[in-house]
Formats: sequence, C-alpha cells, structure tokens
Amino acid sequence: MRAAILVFMLSLAGVAHADGDTTPSPADLRKTCVDAMNANPSFAKDIVTAADKQADDKRLALDKEAGERRAQQDDDARTQRTLTIAKDERQVIMAYAAMWIVAAAFVLFLWLKQSGLKAEILRLRRDLEAATKDSK
Amino acid sequence: MKLLVPILCVIAAVGFGVSLWEAFVVAPPAQGLFFNQKIFYFHVAHAFWLFGAVGVAGICSIGYLATRKPGWDDVASAATDVACAFGAVVLLTGSFWAKAAWDKWWNWEPRLTMSLLLWLVLVACVLIRRFAGAGAERIAAGMAIFGMVGVPFIYTMVGSDQHPKSGSEGVAATLDPDMRPAFWLAVGTFLIWFIALLLVRVAGTRAEREVRELRERALDLGVIE
Repeated sequence: MRAAILVFMLSLAGVAHADGDTTPSPADLRKTCVDAMNANPSFAKDIVTAADKQADDKRLALDKEAGERRAQQDDDARTQRTLTIAKDERQVIMAYAAMWIVAAAFVLFLWLKQSGLKAEILRLRRDLEAATKDSK
Repeated sequence: MKLLVPILCVIAAVGFGVSLWEAFVVAPPAQGLFFNQKIFYFHVAHAFWLFGAVGVAGICSIGYLATRKPGWDDVASAATDVACAFGAVVLLTGSFWAKAAWDKWWNWEPRLTMSLLLWLVLVACVLIRRFAGAGAERIAAGMAIFGMVGVPFIYTMVGSDQHPKSGSEGVAATLDPDMRPAFWLAVGTFLIWFIALLLVRVAGTRAEREVRELRERALDLGVIE
C-alpha cells in the first residue's frame, strides 16, 4: 500500500515535471510524501521497526565478528600454551618421578609388611612351642 | 623358587634400562607432543599390566568363590594390591600426559572416568580386606570380579573423546615402526616387574594367612588374649 502511494506520488511529480507547468520544489515534494506517509498510521511504526531491525542486524554482525575474533585469539593462545607445555620437559620428568615414587613406595610397603609378618610368625611359633612344651 | 624373584627383578632392571635408552635415544620424537610423548612408553605399558592384574584378580576371585580354597584368594588379594599400584602409576602418568597434550590435568571423558572408577574399585577391595572383618575376602572377591568385567569397557571405550583410541586403530597398533621396539620392550619389562611384585605379594598374603592361623591356635591355647 505504502509502495503504491509512493509510486503514485512520484509519478505525479514526474508528470508534473514533464508537463513543465507546475514544478513542485523538493520541499513540497518531501511534504507531500511525509503527509502521505503520516496518513498511514502503521507506517511510522514500520519505519521504526525496519530501523531497529537494521540496527539489530548490524549489532549482531559486529558481535559475531568480535566473537569470532575472540575465539580465534583464545584458540591461538591455547595452541601456543599447549605447544609451550608440549616442549616443556617437566611433564616427562614429573611422570617418571611419579612412576618411581609409586614403585618405591609399593616396594617399601611390601618389604615392611613382609618383615613385620616374618617377625610375627616367628614370635607366634615360639610362643606356641613354649606353650605346647609347658602343657606336656 | 627363592631365586626366581631376584632373577626377575634383575631382568626387569636391565629391561628398564634398555627400554629407557630405546625410548629416549633411539625412538624419534612424536609430532605434536615432542618430548612429552616419551611418557607413552611407560604409561601404556603400566595400563596393559593394570588390566592384566585386574584379570588375574578377577579370575582368582572366581576360583575362590567357586572352590573356597584360600590359595585362590591369596593370589587375588596380591593381584589387587599390585593392580592398585599400577593403576596409580597409570592415572598419575596419564595426568601428566594430559597436561602436555590437552593443557589440562584431567578430563572427564569416558575412558579416564572409567579408569578412575576401576582404580577406586581396587582401592575399595584393599580397604574391605583390611577393615571389613570376617567374610571380607568374599566381598572383595565379588568386587574384583566387578572390576574385571569393567576392563573391556575401558579398553573399547572409544568414540568422540580426546583419549587416543585402542585396538586395531589405537596408538600401539598404529605406532611409528621406529617407536615399536621401545614400546614392546617396555611392555615386556613391566610384565616381568608385575610378575615379580605379584610373587612377592603372594608370599605376603600367604604369610598373613599363616599369621591368622597361628593366632587362632595361640588363642585356643590361651597363649595370647
């Protein structure tokens, strides 16, 4: 509807211009257009909606661009950090140290436990032998 | 038999030295992980024998529950202890490798989570044997079987996770030919180390049983209170 009014107004202006008898000034044309637009109550709202949508689209595009840039920066930083760690020999040293510590702790545990058990077995056997002798 | 454990320990020590040489000097550095890939040779070898130990514990537990012969339980208990130690090494070295590869110490992806759960089951077995009192060996045997059943799930737990795959597509199967000697030597070395530890620990569990029996006799005779 709006488009039809606009086309109609512009064609009127064009015909008037072609006839050459009444050439409206640009201000008059603008006023005519504004009046026609104001005659339609939903037009202003549509203009605002269209403007808001354009602004939203622009803002979304900017946000997306910023997000992609940030993600790229994060990715680069992560890659750099991983590369730094991958070239760092401390992980290997710590892993081997952990392996040795666990192995040593387990062997120590076995040795202490075994020693304690041997001592207890000897003591119990001695006590039992003594008790058996006494009972005889 | 008394000489077997020292002989195994000597072989394991020599094998460990040679596998260190192979891993750090002969094997080329891996692309991406560089020097940190050297963790792989011992991490995966320990994981193999963690699964082996859990298998031994599970099978011996089945044997114990079926026959109630204490010899089965001795081996199951020893294998559980060794599995705990190997599991601790796997989790620790894996964590250092994760830091190098993924820039984080831990990742709650399926295989890591399942491995942690398996280790916790093993720790629970040890704690049950230590603190649960009479009948503890039967509960521990049940849990060891439960742990053994979980192993195939861990091994085949592949998918969209970050952890390297296993099986025919896994890191061991698709390893650079120059890295294979170091890897298989490490696997063999830690098999010998595992057997040595298992034998020592079996002797320990037998000694524990002997202590229990001697105490019972001593209690019967009134030697101890």
